[in-house]
Amino acid sequence: MSSSSSTSTRPRSGDTPRARQTTLAALPNAVVTREQFTATPSAKRGVSRSLESQLRALGCEFIQAAGILLKLPQVTMATAQVLLQRFYYVESLLDVSLLDAVAGALFTAAKVEETPRRIPDVVNVLHYLRQRRRGGDTAPLDGFTQDYYDLRDGLLATESRLLVALGFDVHVQLPYGLMVNYLQAMGLAGNHALAQRAWNYLNDALRTPVYVLYQPHVLACAAVDLATRHCRVPMPTSPPWWEVFEAEADEIRAVCGWLGRLYADPALPANLPLTSAELARHLATL
Amino acid sequence: MERYLRLEKLGEGTYATVYKGKRISSGEIVALKEITLDPDEGAPSTAIREVSLMKELRHNNVVRLYDVIHTETRLLLVFEYMDLDLKKYMDLHGQNGALQPTVCCSLMYQLLLGLAYCHQRCVLHRDLKPQNLLINARGELKLGDFGLARAFGIPVNTYSNEVVTLWYRAPDVLLGSRNYTTTIDVWSAGCVMAEMYTGRPLFPGATNEDQLQRIFRALGTPNELTWPGVSALPSWREDFAQYPSRPLAQLLPQLANDPCALDLLARLLQYQPERRISAEEALVHPYFNSLHQSAAQQS
Repeated sequence: MSSSSSTSTRPRSGDTPRARQTTLAALPNAVVTREQFTATPSAKRGVSRSLESQLRALGCEFIQAAGILLKLPQVTMATAQVLLQRFYYVESLLDVSLLDAVAGALFTAAKVEETPRRIPDVVNVLHYLRQRRRGGDTAPLDGFTQDYYDLRDGLLATESRLLVALGFDVHVQLPYGLMVNYLQAMGLAGNHALAQRAWNYLNDALRTPVYVLYQPHVLACAAVDLATRHCRVPMPTSPPWWEVFEAEADEIRAVCGWLGRLYADPALPANLPLTSAELARHLATL
Repeated sequence: MERYLRLEKLGEGTYATVYKGKRISSGEIVALKEITLDPDEGAPSTAIREVSLMKELRHNNVVRLYDVIHTETRLLLVFEYMDLDLKKYMDLHGQNGALQPTVCCSLMYQLLLGLAYCHQRCVLHRDLKPQNLLINARGELKLGDFGLARAFGIPVNTYSNEVVTLWYRAPDVLLGSRNYTTTIDVWSAGCVMAEMYTGRPLFPGATNEDQLQRIFRALGTPNELTWPGVSALPSWREDFAQYPSRPLAQLLPQLANDPCALDLLARLLQYQPERRISAEEALVHPYFNSLHQSAAQQS
């Protein structure tokens, strides 16, 4: 059986005039269409909006934790989280287990960002995180056990599925470097507390859909906006400073809104379903 | 696979086998690059990078990727068919490999057109060499094999310095720099230009050390005066053998009576990456004036 990337329903590349103008991010990030965003493959099969966002956020948490254990740079962890977010606009949580998608996204991002990690290492770190969350045995897996093979096969199958689903659009332009450039351009780079706060907003925002909804320059401006407001750094308002960076007020406000809702949400429940089978059972009990 | 007919084998690469193929619906000849998925590694990272970048590149001097077919065990990339690579072209049409100056000029112009386009789209090729420059029956040259390419844009992290076949590798990379950018491809383009004129690789080094020696012997050992910052590079050594700089015309007698070609070459092979000419600037170098004139006469 063969499938072709040209026929898949991957998120389309953002081809707005603004994305083309941005000389630095010449390969614009893939953005999802309104339809893809509101009717996700999981939503079409009965997964509620809130459960889906919780599972996406949990997947991102797993990636961040696994990335730290695998000593991956933040750029790789961020890329993996964006790939995970993109992936579930094409595939359903009921078809591809969250844990497999986490493994596939992390493994692929590590290759794309030239920080490759070996399969046994990725498998064991994910096994450890899974067991810790479920309260099971966290000892490393023997490379010849069924559990190990299942995790490895899940990872490899998901890598392929991810590449096809995204039509190989696995490059992610991240906003971190832009954000630092913007602070420098405005003479604010010396304010370390401010820069750190803006950096943290960009990390936290990975758990929301903003990386598949907006281009990096908008995310960078939103992070600077939130950080300067929090640190009470006065900014030019007429005309507003972000116009220089080609961002618009309503886009920035929308990104800030997503972050606000993220911080207002309660912590993720402990018993979230980690696999497609668990999710199916969970839906059946509703 | 049913949509393409596999014809003869064209070559074998590090992670792929390339076949000549035919699209069944149209009869069009294509190149099929077949990649086997490794059970311990999954999809090769070179393949992931090549596809993700080439999908976005549409230019007359960049080989087109038409289609990607993915099965459980294989990945099949369908490329525009090109008759041969620059290396074979030189063996076939050159005099002991050396091409006519007008041919060099036309091929060099096309190389730089393709390269300027990639750089403008923020893609580094990172492995320019005659084997990766493809030529078709119409004499068109296109950049191929983007297996080592990467997207750049906002330099956050440093890149791997395991890039570019040794002979075409820039001195800053040889000295351990990981902050290279488009300038790395420009150096390779310079090496290719010299090779087209002479028929022989300009700096055929055997090891990293030998590669640097050969460059230093030809262009002079750099120092803080000729290349500010060079002594801060990771692999710089104070005891490098000292060679004086020599005029390029001595190194390349074939170019001795073509001052424009020598000037462009010197700018492509500039030690200091920041002062190396860009592909875009190189396109308007006087070296190409004759090309524009003959094009104007023809039209």
